[in-house]
Amino acid sequence: MISLTDVTKKFKDKAAVSDISFSAKEKDIIGFLGPNGAGKTTTMRLILGYLSPTQGKISVNNFNPVDNRIEILKTIGYLPENNPLYPEMKVSEYLKFVADVKQAGSYLATAKEVGLEDVLQSRIEELSRGFKQRVGLAASMLGNPKILILDEPTSGLDPLEQEKIKELIKKLSLKKTIIFSTHILSEVEEVASRLIIINAGKIVYDDGKPKGKGTVEKLFRKLIK
Amino acid sequence: MLTLYKKELNYYLNNPVGYIIVILFAVFANFFFVKDIFVTGSASMRPLFGLLPWLFLVFVPALSMRSFAEEKRQNTIEVLLTLPFSETQIVAAKFLAVLTIVSFGLILTFGLPISLSLVAKVYYPEIVIGYLGEILFAAGLTAIAIFFSSLTKNQIVAFLVSILVSFLLLVLSTDFLATAIPKFIQDFLTNFTPLYHLENFVKGILDIRSLIYFLSLIAGFLFLTIVNLEKRN
Repeated sequence: MISLTDVTKKFKDKAAVSDISFSAKEKDIIGFLGPNGAGKTTTMRLILGYLSPTQGKISVNNFNPVDNRIEILKTIGYLPENNPLYPEMKVSEYLKFVADVKQAGSYLATAKEVGLEDVLQSRIEELSRGFKQRVGLAASMLGNPKILILDEPTSGLDPLEQEKIKELIKKLSLKKTIIFSTHILSEVEEVASRLIIINAGKIVYDDGKPKGKGTVEKLFRKLIK
Repeated sequence: MLTLYKKELNYYLNNPVGYIIVILFAVFANFFFVKDIFVTGSASMRPLFGLLPWLFLVFVPALSMRSFAEEKRQNTIEVLLTLPFSETQIVAAKFLAVLTIVSFGLILTFGLPISLSLVAKVYYPEIVIGYLGEILFAAGLTAIAIFFSSLTKNQIVAFLVSILVSFLLLVLSTDFLATAIPKFIQDFLTNFTPLYHLENFVKGILDIRSLIYFLSLIAGFLFLTIVNLEKRN
């Protein structure tokens, strides 16, 4: 479904990711971990075709995302880091806009699935951070994409909201391939089926998640010194 | 692309700033034309067509400045570029939305030729060609302003740089520069200025060279904007 082979991305002379390879199969839930600036967001943007690799090969559903960006983006839902949204738009307007672009039909079922039905007529700028995150998540889910790429979906949320988003990701994972990045190590333990740790642009771990409470944190601390 | 065009248009239609800019434009255009018409006693639209470019100089950058600068500031440009839109579609939708709003402003001056026709004989083909020239001129400035909006995250910087560059383009063909640069250079540069090419339209002449000039100006700056969007790598 997704495969990266020896991918390097340089900005000017500085490599953001260097020689990384991994693949994701159908219904994989990959927790993507790494410290700030490790290359998580760059990797996600490369998969989306938003950035093109300096070298290496990327394939998404057998397409090269750079040459077939529009086709690829019809099959991927993406929640960018910090969840940028249009604050002046109503939730219903924004979801309708994304649904129309993705030719997804009605947005109402998705809005209900993420619990937005009571705020559809509210302006995005009036929403709490948790609700804004749900709007971004709903937008990424529209059109029923087979792949979801979520860049820090629970960042800045209170524990209660984090729990709700985690539950939603778990529910979605039954039918989708999900790659999500996070700083919250316990989140990976609960949600992911597989773990990739990236540090300084290189993948330092790519395997099943270790079993037991606190084991992901121990592994992370061991690998990221 | 139509979806994005509608979204962009709705931003202006749901926002008081859009209305304020368009109404101010219409008020200035109508006022300055009516103010002088009784002095000159001429039933011609040429004074208005001579005035509009200088109003566009301020109002077009004011409408265009947010196009990309605001998307970059809020990082919603990443949202747009990770939806199934090509860079060309994004630039075209934003350009057409601004041009539609500018056209609303021009429509608000239609009362002037209608009023003139009630008191004097007017030659409609000249007026139609004049308006065509003005919309092409405004489209050229819109393409320039959108390009500069794509270079920065700051709307004010986009606004000021667009005005400055457009102003320089405009004054190249005026007497303003006559003492500053040799005449043969000014004559040569005049061929590249929108005011010079607008003159034909204002006279009611549909000159194919001027039409090509404006279409090239628009296409050139929109192309540069697309290239700039693709440069995110």
